[in-house]
Amino acid sequence: MVEFVILAPFLLGIIAFFLPKESGRTILVVTGSIHLLFSVTLWVRRPVSFLPEYFSVTPEGLLSLLVISFLFFLVAIYTTAYLKETKIQSENIFIGSMILFLSTMTMVTLSDHIMVMWIAIEATTLASAPLIYTHRSKASLEATWKYVLICSVGIAMALLGSVFLVLAMDLGNIDVPLSFSALSQVAKQLDPIWLKAAFILILVGYGTKMGLAPMHTWLPDAHSEAPSPASALLSGVLLNCAYLGIFKTNKIMIAAGLGDFSGTILIIFGLMSILAAATFIIKQTEYKRLLAYSSIENMGIIAFGTGIGGLGAYGAILCLIHHSLIKSSLFLTSGNILLGYGSGLIDKTGNLVKLMPKTLIAFFAGFAGISGFPPFGIFIGEMFIIIGAFRTGHYVVATVFIISLCVIFAGFANQAMKITFSDADKHLSIKFTEKASMIWPQYILLITSLILCLWMPETLYKTIIDAVAVIGGGL
Amino acid sequence: MIYSVDTILSLVLLSVLFSFGSSRLPGLIKVIAFQGIVVSLVPLFIEHDLTTGTILFSLVTMVIRGIVIPLSIHLVIKKVSINRGVEPIIGFHASLFAGLILIVAAAFVSHRLNIPSVSTSALLTPTAITILVAGMFILMTRRNAIAMVLGYMMMENGIYLVGTTFSTHAHHIVEFGILLDVLAGVMIMAIMLRDMKQKFDGVDTVHLRNLKE
Repeated sequence: MVEFVILAPFLLGIIAFFLPKESGRTILVVTGSIHLLFSVTLWVRRPVSFLPEYFSVTPEGLLSLLVISFLFFLVAIYTTAYLKETKIQSENIFIGSMILFLSTMTMVTLSDHIMVMWIAIEATTLASAPLIYTHRSKASLEATWKYVLICSVGIAMALLGSVFLVLAMDLGNIDVPLSFSALSQVAKQLDPIWLKAAFILILVGYGTKMGLAPMHTWLPDAHSEAPSPASALLSGVLLNCAYLGIFKTNKIMIAAGLGDFSGTILIIFGLMSILAAATFIIKQTEYKRLLAYSSIENMGIIAFGTGIGGLGAYGAILCLIHHSLIKSSLFLTSGNILLGYGSGLIDKTGNLVKLMPKTLIAFFAGFAGISGFPPFGIFIGEMFIIIGAFRTGHYVVATVFIISLCVIFAGFANQAMKITFSDADKHLSIKFTEKASMIWPQYILLITSLILCLWMPETLYKTIIDAVAVIGGGL
Repeated sequence: MIYSVDTILSLVLLSVLFSFGSSRLPGLIKVIAFQGIVVSLVPLFIEHDLTTGTILFSLVTMVIRGIVIPLSIHLVIKKVSINRGVEPIIGFHASLFAGLILIVAAAFVSHRLNIPSVSTSALLTPTAITILVAGMFILMTRRNAIAMVLGYMMMENGIYLVGTTFSTHAHHIVEFGILLDVLAGVMIMAIMLRDMKQKFDGVDTVHLRNLKE
């Protein structure tokens, strides 16, 4: 059952490579619905896998899986409409890679074995590379090259870190399966020095993929050059997958009594990412890159919250879920803006409020959500992180954190106002009709975020609490 | 004490110096192929009880690391038939000197590390560290995109060598998965190299600096 959720999209993805155009789009939606159905079943039943050594259903994995599945389903619907509006060479490769990408991400969420986790995360890089290269332009080639090379080299560091984890086991004379859950139980016997080295390497490795500064350089290029549905997936869920690797390793560190060490490093990397994002958001000229830097900021917030622990860790998971929902909706909206105005530059847009009113609602609500305005979940997540930071006595870093968030908000607001209200070129004609299938996916994502903020189902709350229990999370 | 595996490992150490000094891509590829073969044979020397699985897996690794990957990169070079220099950022003499320092430092560090499970070879850990760092060095100091891929491969070889030192826990199926990922990664890079030649008329990464901020 568990493995089937990985295998089904894998096979369908391979089939999609060989199908003609139109049927590929159907396959995309069908895969999305099947996957969503399976994920919900997994959530309800929580079965044991056939290969328990490699795969298992963990609370944090389930959370990510459900987000991935829900998002992919909506993105699939949007994509079918998007592909009618725009021309893409070799559409079967695009659709096939998208489904394979789903399969590899599912594998990340379900893997429990350290090396299998690595294999899955590297596989996500490979499956998503063709997505970024879809337009076959010079810029997209550059973005893809940077993406594949920087991420592969970065993730190679994580492999080295995983090998060090094995060494820490050897030195501690323990013989358990090489899985995160087994290692967490015997964490106290692991050799602490090698465990620390392993954590740093894994953080640098998966941190590269997650977009933590200073290893984030590939991210704005890749997210801005990919077609918008692919950007939504890259930003919305791929970054979460990389975070999962760090999160699980951090659990081992905490079980080993080295939580202070790993927490401090996470806080430093988190703050660096937020500061880096703040510098680039203020003077940004392209809206998709603006969103990409905002992803770096949010990943920084999540790493920061995880490092704080306790209430902060709970806030980090909330931010993780809501960032996926809101950011993917924003990237889909940016696809509409790109189709309407035909340019990625902020200066070439304007007057969105008159020209594309339905898109405006999605864009502005998304902007409010991502900047941490009250009706959306990121507000609650960030508030928990700040309270958690003050409770644990991190006064200085919490202050820096708050100030950078203000700077980012100012920068982002300035750009968002330009897009929505400033005067557009008079000769500009919008060649884009706002179809329901290109508007409603964004609305649904935003409404979900809104609902989750006001009312969270008991089972979801319990799963989050289970996931952060080791980090001392909870209200 | 001298162990049999140390003979070939010392050759690998020499090959690192050779790769730092080589200005042409074909030479660099041969070095990578040689390293790939040696690295995949190491488990056969250091394992105490050889199973069919180990032998079979070593052979598959050897074919992929030593033959398939170098050959595919070689084919790319042939196809794009361009200026075959590696376009260094740091000169060859300086690189060679850095290589020497690297080997000494690796030997020094691995003495200090005192890893107990390495009892069958004196050179294993120093070699692993050396080619790992050497791979990164090539990645950073060569502007030619093909040389960068080769640097990545060298780094992967180093990690594999670190892994063989003590990975008695990992199963072959898992290691095979890792190998498959590396192979697929290099293949994707090879495809991009071909397109790069078409679009930019060369594989110098100077062309890849238009996306900023």
